[in-house]
Amino acid sequence: MKAADFLYHRAGSVAEAVTLLDEYAGEARLLAGGQSLMPMLNMRLWRLGALIDVNQVPGLDGIEAEGEGDLEETRIGALTRYVSLERSEVVASRLPLLAEMVRHIGDRQVRNRGTLGGSLVQGDPTAEMPLGCLVLGARVRVESGRGSREIAMGEFYDGSYAAALEFDEMVTEIRFPRHPSHFAFSELTRRHGDFCVLSVAVTGECDSDGCWHDLRIGLGGVSDMPVPAEAASARLSGTRLTDDDIREAAALTVEDIDPPSDMRATAEYRTHLVPVHVRRALQQLRARASATELLTRTRENR
Amino acid sequence: MNEFVEAPAAPKETTRQEESLKHRLIGTSVPRTEDERLLRGDGRFTDDVQFAHQLEMAVGRCPFPHARILSIDVSRALELEGVKHVLTGEQVREQSAPLTVLRPVPGAPQLPYYALAQDKATYEGQPVVSVVAVSRALAEDAIELIEIEYEPLPHVSDAIAALEEGAPLLHPQSLASNLLASNGDRAGEPEARIEAADVVLRSRMRIGRVTPLPMETRGVVAVWRPGARELSIHTSTQVPHLVRKQLAESLRIGEECIRVSASDVGGGFGMKLGVYPEDVLASLHAMALRRPVKWIEDRMEHFRASTHGRESIHDYCLAADAEGRFVAMTNTYTTDIGGWNSPFGSSQLSSVIFTGPYRVADAAVERRVAMTNKTPVGAYRGYGQPEVNFALEVLVDRLARKLGKDPLALRELNMLRPEDLPWTVPSGAVYDSGDYLRTLRMAAEAVDYAAHRASPRVPRPDGRILGIGLSSFVERTGYASARFLANRGSKFGAHESVTLRANRSGTIDLYTGVSSIGQSSETAFAQICAEVLGVDFDAVRVHSGDTASSPLNTGAFASRTLIAAAGALREAALPFRDKTLRLGAWALGIAPEEAVIEGYEVRHRDDADKRVPLSDVFSRAILGQGIPHDETPGLETTAHFEPPSAAFSFGTAAAVVAVDPETGEFSVERFVMVHDCGVAVNPMIVEGQVRGALVQGLGAALGEELRYDAVTGQLLSGSMLDYAVPRAADVPPIELLHTEVPSPVTTFGVRGVGEVGTIPPGAAIANALCDALADYGVEFSALPITPESVWRALQAARESTQGAAA
Repeated sequence: MKAADFLYHRAGSVAEAVTLLDEYAGEARLLAGGQSLMPMLNMRLWRLGALIDVNQVPGLDGIEAEGEGDLEETRIGALTRYVSLERSEVVASRLPLLAEMVRHIGDRQVRNRGTLGGSLVQGDPTAEMPLGCLVLGARVRVESGRGSREIAMGEFYDGSYAAALEFDEMVTEIRFPRHPSHFAFSELTRRHGDFCVLSVAVTGECDSDGCWHDLRIGLGGVSDMPVPAEAASARLSGTRLTDDDIREAAALTVEDIDPPSDMRATAEYRTHLVPVHVRRALQQLRARASATELLTRTRENR
Repeated sequence: MNEFVEAPAAPKETTRQEESLKHRLIGTSVPRTEDERLLRGDGRFTDDVQFAHQLEMAVGRCPFPHARILSIDVSRALELEGVKHVLTGEQVREQSAPLTVLRPVPGAPQLPYYALAQDKATYEGQPVVSVVAVSRALAEDAIELIEIEYEPLPHVSDAIAALEEGAPLLHPQSLASNLLASNGDRAGEPEARIEAADVVLRSRMRIGRVTPLPMETRGVVAVWRPGARELSIHTSTQVPHLVRKQLAESLRIGEECIRVSASDVGGGFGMKLGVYPEDVLASLHAMALRRPVKWIEDRMEHFRASTHGRESIHDYCLAADAEGRFVAMTNTYTTDIGGWNSPFGSSQLSSVIFTGPYRVADAAVERRVAMTNKTPVGAYRGYGQPEVNFALEVLVDRLARKLGKDPLALRELNMLRPEDLPWTVPSGAVYDSGDYLRTLRMAAEAVDYAAHRASPRVPRPDGRILGIGLSSFVERTGYASARFLANRGSKFGAHESVTLRANRSGTIDLYTGVSSIGQSSETAFAQICAEVLGVDFDAVRVHSGDTASSPLNTGAFASRTLIAAAGALREAALPFRDKTLRLGAWALGIAPEEAVIEGYEVRHRDDADKRVPLSDVFSRAILGQGIPHDETPGLETTAHFEPPSAAFSFGTAAAVVAVDPETGEFSVERFVMVHDCGVAVNPMIVEGQVRGALVQGLGAALGEELRYDAVTGQLLSGSMLDYAVPRAADVPPIELLHTEVPSPVTTFGVRGVGEVGTIPPGAAIANALCDALADYGVEFSALPITPESVWRALQAARESTQGAAA
C-alpha cells in the first residue's frame, strides 16, 4: 500500500493550478484534503501523472455572508474544511442544515482535513455534502484557463464519482441562496461516521395559514448520485403535511431511486427504508415548524 | 457497576477480600508495567526495528480464488533499478520445505503448503511471487511488472457446497474430496433419546467469517549472518519458540541457527500463532542477499493473507421433555478452513463445550473440516466457543418459547449445580468447579429481568420495543495436559516456563518466551514472582519473547499463559527464595529460618537492625564470594510447569436491545457480563481483557463480516471501508460483574480470561431481539445480525403467518 511515483506540484494560485491541470490533460488531480485521493493512490487503484496541491492557494477557503433578504447568499470557498463548517457561526445561522449534516461526516480526523470542494468533486453517492448542497440549491463555481462558470448542484454529476467537470476545471467556491425556513435530516449508517445506507434531507416553507410550499426532498445513498424526490415534493405542495399527505408522498419516492446492493445493505432493504425515512423526516419537519411557530407566537404575545 | 462483587459465603469459594488478606500482590490492581512505554510512544513493534542496509519485501498475490499458474515472467521486474531479488514458486520449492502445522486437525494429511504457490493457487491472496527492493514502493512497482499467466479454475466458496459431490477439488493429490478430516465425540444414546423426546428442535446455524484484525498487522525482519550461521528474526508473534521450530523445519536448518524475538506485539487474538509464508520468504531473501529484509503486512494484504476466523455451519439438535429438561444434544458442524491448513487450523473447541453449562448425559458432536477457495482460517479468540454458544443458546430460547416457559427458568432447570462438579461432559472434558446458576441470576437481576418479563412488548415513545436476552456459557481455558495434546497430534506442550536470575543491582530478571501481546503478562508475572519472593513488585523485571534468552515454552494463546505460568513462577520462585534466604542469613550470621525477604533486602524476622540489601546478597551469589562453602555460586532458577487439567471459566451475559419493528434498526442499550475467571491476579487487567474481547464479540455479532461474492468468489469486504469493525463510539455500554470461585486445578486458583468476552454477545443479542419482537415471532439463525437481517426476519415471520392463515 505505497503509492507509485507521481510528480508533486504546489500551486500558488488558481491560475497556476488550472494551467497545470491543462498541461497534464487529465493525468493530474488536485490535492485538497486528500481523504479519498490519498487512500486510492496508496491502494494503487489510481496511478496519476501528478498531484497539484492547492492547500497553499490563498483565498480558496473562507465562509462569507453576502446580500440581505431575498438576495441573501452565502459563499463557501472550496478549500474550506469540514471542521470550519462545523464551527462556523455563519454556517450555523445561515446554513443550519449543512451545519447539522457536516457532523455526520467520517470522524474528527477526516473532518480536520476533508474539504467541501473535495467532497463535491469526489462525488461519493453516499456523501453528506453533495446531498446538502443539492437540497439547498447551491451553485458550484469552477475556473479554468478558458474562464469561469457556475454549475447548479442539480447538474453537477454525470454519474457516480463523476462530477461534470472538464479536466482543466477546478472548483473554487460554492454559493448558497437564502436557506429555507424549515429543514430536517435523517441518516442510517452501520457505524458512527460510516458511509450511509441512506440519507434524507428535507426543507420547506410554511405559510402562516399552515400550508406548505417549496418543499425539497433529497435522497443520498440510493442512486448513483444524490437525487431529488420531485414527485413527492410536488405532492406535498400546498398541503398541511397531514399524516396522509406525508404517507402518500413518501410512497412516491421509490420512483426516484435506483439503490445499489453492497456490503452495507441490499437494494431491496434500501427500497423499503426510503419511504419510511422520508416519512419520518417530513414528520420531523412538520414538528419543528410547529415548534418554531409556537415560539414565535409566544414571543409576539409578550 | 464495574466492581468485583463479593461472593456470599459458600463452599469451595473464597472472596476476593480473603484472597487479598492471604496475598500481598495477587488480587490487587497494580498499574500495568507495559503502559509507561506504550503510552509514551516507546513501544517497539516490528516496524520499529531498523537495520543498516535493510531492504524491503513485497509479495505478489493471486487475484483469483482458484487458478492454475501457467507462467511467470520476472524479467522486467529485475530490470528495474533498486530491485535486488525475486523469488518464484520453483525456487521456493528448491530452497525450502512446506509450512508445517502446529495443531493439525486429527486425521488430516499434511498438505504441501509452500511459501509461494506451486502449480496453482487456492485462495485470493495466496503469495505467488516476492520481490525485495530498496523501498517498499519500488518493490510494489516491481510486482506490477511481473507477468503472471493464470488460468482461472472453477472455485467453491461455500463450505457446505464444497463437500457436495462434483465440487471443484482443491487438493486432489492429497485429498479425494474437500473434506480435510472429520472427527467426533459422543456419550450415551443421543439418537434414542431424541426419538423418545417430547420436544425436538433442530436448526442450521451459520456463523459468519470474520478477521481478528489486530492493530499491528503481521511483520518480519530477517537478518542472516552467514559467518555466524545465525538467522535473527524479529516478528510480531504470540509464539516465538514455535516460530523458531517451524522456521527450522521449513528452511531446513538447525534450530540453533535461529533466534526469534518479538518485543511488543500489537495484538494477536490467535492470528499470530506460528509461521506464515512471508516469514519463510523474508528469511530466504535475507539468506540469498546477506542483507536484512523487512516485510510489513499492509491492511489490504492483512484482509487476505492473515488467517480468518469463525466461519462454520452448525446443525444443532436440542431435545427436551415436556417440562423442558434437556435429554439430548447433537451438533454436526462444518468448519470452513479455507484454501490451506493453517498453524492452528479451524476452531476445535466447538466440540469440547458444545453442551454448555447444562446437565445432559446423552450427546454427540461431529466436526467436519471443509476446504474452500478462501483465505485459510486459523485460531481466533474463542476458537469455536462463540460459534457453538450461539447455536445452543439461541435454541435454548427457542425451546422456551415453544414450551411457553421463561428462558431464565429453563436455564435454571438445566444448569449444572456447584455440587455436581467436577463433571465430565459428553465430550470428555471435565468441568472443574463453579457456580453457574449464580452468574445467571446476577445477570438477570442487573437488568431487572423479572420486571421486564412481566411487562408487555409495546413500543416506547420513540417507536422501539425493548427486549432482554440471556446467554450462559462455560469456557475451556488452558489445555487438559500434554497427553491430551499428544492424542490430537499437537506439536506443542501444555506447560509454561520461566527463568529467574539475580543481578548485582539487587533486582530479579525474569525471562519468559511469552511475548507481550497486550495481555499484560509482564505485569501479572511480576506480581506473582514478587508475591512468592517477598520482594517489591518493581524489583522484578520481565524480559519477554526472545528465544535466545528465555527457556523453551509454549506461548501466549488458548487463555493458557497464566494457568501454566502461575505454577512455573511459583516453582521457580520458591528455590530462588530459599537460596536468597540461606545466603542472606549467612551474611547476617543468623539461621535461614529466622530470615525474611522484604522489599529490597533480607532481614531478621524480629530484629530490624539485622538486614542486608539484596544487591549484596545477589552479588555474593554471582561472584561466589562470601557464601557458605556448601553453596554453589550463582542464583538462577528455571521451572517448567504443566497444570494437571484445564480450568473452565463461566458466566452469563444479558443484552438489552431496543428495536424498531418497521425498519429493523436496533441498538444494544446495555450489555451486562457476569463472569468468573477464578482468582483474579490483577482485577484491572481482568476487566480490560473481558471488555476488549466483548467488543470483538459484539463486532462479530453486529456487523463484522468477510463476505465473498457468490459468483466471482472475490472478497467483497477486504478493506476498512467495507469491513464494519466497531469503533469506540459504536460500543454499547458494558457493565461487568465478577464472581471468584477458585479453580482447584491451577496454582492460586486462576482460570483463563483472555477470550471469554467473545463468547456470549451473539446469542444474547439474538435472544433479546426475539424477546422484543415476541409478538411477531421472529427467529435468528445466523451471525452477524444487522438491521437488515432483523427486517428480513420480520418479513419471514409475516410471510409464515400469512401462509398459515391461508
